[in-house]
Amino acid sequence: MAFNFNWSPLTADAEFYKMAQQMLTTALNKSPKPPIIVDDILVNELNLGSVPPELEILEIGDLAEDRFRGIFKMCYSGDAFLTLKTRVQANPLNTYLFSKPSFTSPQPLAASSGLTIPLQITLSEIKMSAFIILVFSRQKGLTLVFRNDPLESLKVSSTFDSIPFVRDYLQNEIEKQLRTLMMDELPAIIHRLSLRLWCPEYRAKEDAELAQAERLEKEEVAVDPLASPPQDAVDARGNVLNANEISTLSLDGGGSEIHSLFSQKNLVRLAALTDSHRTLSLFTPSIRDAVFRAWASPSERNETAGTSTPATPSLLRSMSSPANSSTTYTFSRGSDDGHGHMPSRASLVSLQSATTGLSLGAGRHSRSHMRKKKNRVVNLRRSKTTDDITSESGSEDASVAGSEPIISTRVPEEPEDNIITPPRSPSGRVRFRTSSIDLGDSPNKYRLSTPSRSALSSKAVPEQVILDSTSTPTMEKDEPIIYSRARRPSLKKAQSPPEKAPAIHLIPAPILSSEPLSGSGGIVEQAWVLKMAGEIARRAHDEKASREGFWSGSSTDGREDTPPPAYQAKDL
Amino acid sequence: MLEFMDYVQHSFYKASHWNTENSYSQLTATARELLEFDTPRGLRLNLSSLSSPNFATSYALGSVGLVDGALSYLYTSLPLFPVSQSGDIDLHDVIRGYRQIQELRKQEESWMWEEWQGGKRIDKRNTLFYGRLYLPQSTLEALYLRRLSPTQQLKLSAVSDSRLKNGGTILALHQYDTGKYSTETLYSTDGGLVGVRGLYNFGPDPRKGITEPPRTEDRFYGRFSAGAEMYYGALNKSGGVSFGGRFATLPAHKGVPLTATLTLNPLMGNFSTTYAVKAGKNLALCSKFDFNVYSYESDLMLGCELWRMKAKAKKIQERSMAAKLEWRLDEVEKNPSPEPEEVTGVLKARVDQNWRIGLLWEGRIKELLFTLASSIDMNRPDQPFRAVGLEVQYSS
Repeated sequence: MAFNFNWSPLTADAEFYKMAQQMLTTALNKSPKPPIIVDDILVNELNLGSVPPELEILEIGDLAEDRFRGIFKMCYSGDAFLTLKTRVQANPLNTYLFSKPSFTSPQPLAASSGLTIPLQITLSEIKMSAFIILVFSRQKGLTLVFRNDPLESLKVSSTFDSIPFVRDYLQNEIEKQLRTLMMDELPAIIHRLSLRLWCPEYRAKEDAELAQAERLEKEEVAVDPLASPPQDAVDARGNVLNANEISTLSLDGGGSEIHSLFSQKNLVRLAALTDSHRTLSLFTPSIRDAVFRAWASPSERNETAGTSTPATPSLLRSMSSPANSSTTYTFSRGSDDGHGHMPSRASLVSLQSATTGLSLGAGRHSRSHMRKKKNRVVNLRRSKTTDDITSESGSEDASVAGSEPIISTRVPEEPEDNIITPPRSPSGRVRFRTSSIDLGDSPNKYRLSTPSRSALSSKAVPEQVILDSTSTPTMEKDEPIIYSRARRPSLKKAQSPPEKAPAIHLIPAPILSSEPLSGSGGIVEQAWVLKMAGEIARRAHDEKASREGFWSGSSTDGREDTPPPAYQAKDL
Repeated sequence: MLEFMDYVQHSFYKASHWNTENSYSQLTATARELLEFDTPRGLRLNLSSLSSPNFATSYALGSVGLVDGALSYLYTSLPLFPVSQSGDIDLHDVIRGYRQIQELRKQEESWMWEEWQGGKRIDKRNTLFYGRLYLPQSTLEALYLRRLSPTQQLKLSAVSDSRLKNGGTILALHQYDTGKYSTETLYSTDGGLVGVRGLYNFGPDPRKGITEPPRTEDRFYGRFSAGAEMYYGALNKSGGVSFGGRFATLPAHKGVPLTATLTLNPLMGNFSTTYAVKAGKNLALCSKFDFNVYSYESDLMLGCELWRMKAKAKKIQERSMAAKLEWRLDEVEKNPSPEPEEVTGVLKARVDQNWRIGLLWEGRIKELLFTLASSIDMNRPDQPFRAVGLEVQYSS
């Protein structure tokens, strides 16, 4: 497989330069300018240079003729340059007084009189190094997001190079502006450009009526929150968000379905809620008919504060059964694969008739669960480890008994569910956890215990528990376990376990088997899975510590030959 | 129009014999009042009271889109007795227009302030405290004013606002005025700005007493003043310099009163000249021309001020009954004392070379002082009115 990136045609196209200049000009003048700049910023010259950026492919999530998504590492230190023209206020006293309160102003008589000077700034020797998430589809154009601040350094040369104060000021201001440009404006510009290039309808529309096209553009960009993934999808250590999640959400068929299902307002509100949780902000948006519960125990706080990121949760809203018209939301950030998984979730949700829940699982090791039988509970807490599950089973099994038949009958009906199936379940290990739960005595008990907490978790349980004894032989042994761990989000109970699962990075789960299983045999296997998951988690944690960073996860030896989930999903 | 608190503050200066005019920062005061008056926006209500000679309060309520307000309090150790009822205030005191500079006074000697009782000095320095809280922005302004001696004054002003860097700024200003010359030194915590200003008045020295009477037969009888200012920001290593001169006629001048100033900023190459005349009793005209020798940018501004007096009902002269009985005419009153004219309103207008027009109408209706303002941009014919504002003041 080879990729061919053409750099020179891009640099030779005069029309492209013209258009790019225009777009840059509007982008630069959009944000409020510092007082020293008294005129519009005009892009005078733009040259991409002859040295192309170095691209390193880190991961390719999806590849087809009309779509592509992947992650690149880009390093650039070429000879591109950009010349800007504007007018600046040369009197430092004038800008000094600009934002000061008049009450304490020294009120100079004429010392603050202005002198505006035309200024030409040349940005050159631009050095960039960035991780880029690139998503392309013929329908939706090209989406490009920087995962970190791409700008490493640049040289600003201007008319004022001889005056150190002004030079430093300009350097700082320009770097600041350029950073916002890269992070916020550039993705939008590229998206727009790509739409113009690849979507004939778009271009036609734009040509036909500019106003109409603008509006459309806005719709495309603004209304679809998942089309351009947020830059905060990764945390400071760059390790939290699974990159494929973003792309999955952006382009998959299932993803787009989800967009339409979910109103942006709610998304924004929930994002604000999580943000308010993570910061000191006192503002908590009100969500109707929902009870928001903060941290239940102080121990959880540390864990969550450290690792959770405002990743785009994969969001699901599905109507539950017609009998009760309440809505159930499932947020699972750790969704492995956009194709089969979400619909299956939705169907699970609809299964519940009595209770409705809003559960927000926090990622790979997150699980959605309710502690009380409240009408709707938004639980933003981080998931706990798998160990918790066992501890809970004893207390609550009685209450749940009624729901058991529903679950068991329902399970076979979900053929699309990408259920994680460990290849074999050694029966000898069944008892390893007997101290906390007796699996052998009451296999059903375990399954029933979780449902009792909330409707959601009850359906989640079967999903997790089902084990496929007829798993594909090609599977490596540890793979399924990892996936099972990834899927864990939907199943869980928080008990503040002594040992917490370390955050591991999960790559998309290939769909191993869609074949449903009947319940009783799976319990044993699940116990084994739980055990193995713990070990794997520990191992993964060690690996991560040695490798450090998000990218390590995708380049592990053992996983490299795993086919992209999309393809596997199709095969099935 | 001056706000009530500024009005009280000016009466403090007046009562403590401080000449605010004699400062370099006031060199172009006339042009500033005639050309750079600010036009209020939206609706604004002021309710003020001088509840005692030492204490004043003022409440302001404004509405520009959203409602905001301000509470202000003022305390002075020097009892003040200005006319505080808004129905009685002389509009000349609150509406600033053409500033007629006055003859320099001889400053009081410091021993004149001394008060002795039982062998101890009991005199205190006059002090003024002023605070204003803006809501809902939670901005606090504070002013501390102290007359250190007949020739010195200390002014500390501070603003506390969470949006400012470091939470606020303090400006300390020390003023020294001998009449013949005055200097000011200032320090601002914002950027560590240090500044010096000075003004020198040519002509007779008021400290030595006026020996010769004014030679009013000259074509112009006036005073020439020159000054300079210098600033240096210690933290941001920036500074500024300007020089200026002013010629203004004195009240004894027989012709048309005029004021002409020239300021220049040698660092930035900026010239600014203003010329103002009081063309009639109720009319003043002003022009300002700026030019920058480096960038060749220029700016021209014209303004005028028109005072409208209340039309006096003409007295019908009838022979008195006594005169009729005595078959004679009434005696012609010699030197009839002129009745004080009452101002009904002042119109200020300015226009600059970009056809931006500012209009201001200030006056009194019943007991209320009002300011009606509008700024018009003729370059935008679709919506020329950029801003309209109305300000109403009541004080007691």
